[in-house]
Amino acid sequence: MKPNDDGAAWSIVGYLLSGLLFWGGVGWAVDHWLHTRYFLLAGLLLGAGAAMYLIWLRIGRKSK
Amino acid sequence: MKGTLNLVGYGLSAIGPAIATGMIFAAYISGVARQPEARSVLQPIAFLGFALAEALALFGLVLAFVL
Amino acid sequence: MRSLHLLSASGGGFVPPSSNDFIFPSFFGHSQYATKPILLVFLSVLLISIFFILASRKAAIVPSKLQFAGESLYGFVRNDLGRDIIGHEFMRFVPYLFTLFVFILTNNIFGIVPLLQFPTMSHVSFPYVLAIITFVVFHYIGIRKQGIRKYIKDIMFMPGVPKAAYILLTPIEIATYFITRPLTLALRLFANMFAGHLLLLVFILGGDHLLKGVIGLKLISPFAFAFGIGLTFFEFLVQCLQAYIFTLLTALYIAGALADEH
Repeated sequence: MKPNDDGAAWSIVGYLLSGLLFWGGVGWAVDHWLHTRYFLLAGLLLGAGAAMYLIWLRIGRKSK
Repeated sequence: MKGTLNLVGYGLSAIGPAIATGMIFAAYISGVARQPEARSVLQPIAFLGFALAEALALFGLVLAFVL
Repeated sequence: MRSLHLLSASGGGFVPPSSNDFIFPSFFGHSQYATKPILLVFLSVLLISIFFILASRKAAIVPSKLQFAGESLYGFVRNDLGRDIIGHEFMRFVPYLFTLFVFILTNNIFGIVPLLQFPTMSHVSFPYVLAIITFVVFHYIGIRKQGIRKYIKDIMFMPGVPKAAYILLTPIEIATYFITRPLTLALRLFANMFAGHLLLLVFILGGDHLLKGVIGLKLISPFAFAFGIGLTFFEFLVQCLQAYIFTLLTALYIAGALADEH
């Protein structure tokens, strides 16, 4: 096992949290600005999806 | 004692991901224990499954503060 | 809480432990720098210094018990946290990792040492400072090793991704490296120590309160105390684990900064 493999596992929560907070925050700001309600949910889903993609790039792709 | 019901809801919503995470790693550990050479195949799958389950828990955390 | 209030003979309601229990009065006048957590930090520095000076003073080939204890602790950090994770350049970072590990471990274990019984790290400012030091260390090392432009570029742009995806991914990468990592590092340690201390307070103070109640409650209180004692051992486990995890993550971040690409 390469020395760095454990690091990828630990960064999962960090990526998910920053993805959700950043894009969820953008969605929340858009909601606040346009007085709508659904951009927050869209932002959260987008953030979670992007973070999952990033995690797949870090972990899933490496093993191929 | 005072507080908000959001946190109770978050506590309830964290049960599911907690059980899921436990099951994922239990399966991963027993898989690797039975067949150690399958580790490199199982590891990304286990961690991606963990990421999926964890995403739900973090959704709960964020929504508990936002809503 | 209401039923408990009615049942207790003394009449005084049970005050559940809260974050107010983490605020200590000052020793001298109104100086906010002379409180119990600060004293514990100085005590930990003193204890660690004395222990390792004694352990290493008469170093012999056949080690004494004290030397063996000190050396096995050092060997654990050097081999399991330094060599196995950072790789061939690990010796430069062992002093920092070892200091971090021993300092956090000692301060955590103060939480279950009789008479002291307060984990210093349950005051959030201490983990923040440690996390800031780690943050500066691993970014500095990365910049020194790879040059600032390449280091930032490696963080921002994951190779092998369609260009349009960078709009989505780059903010997440930046937030992870510069905000979430130090924040979760500090908060993980803080939250574990805070919650652990609160948990012990609930059971011990609750047991004490039950003991003052009517006879039925008096019979329950030993269970509360027994649980409190059991949880004390559990807390010991958590305290060691959190010191280990903090050091492990520091080592992982340093290893990540040293690696050419992620």
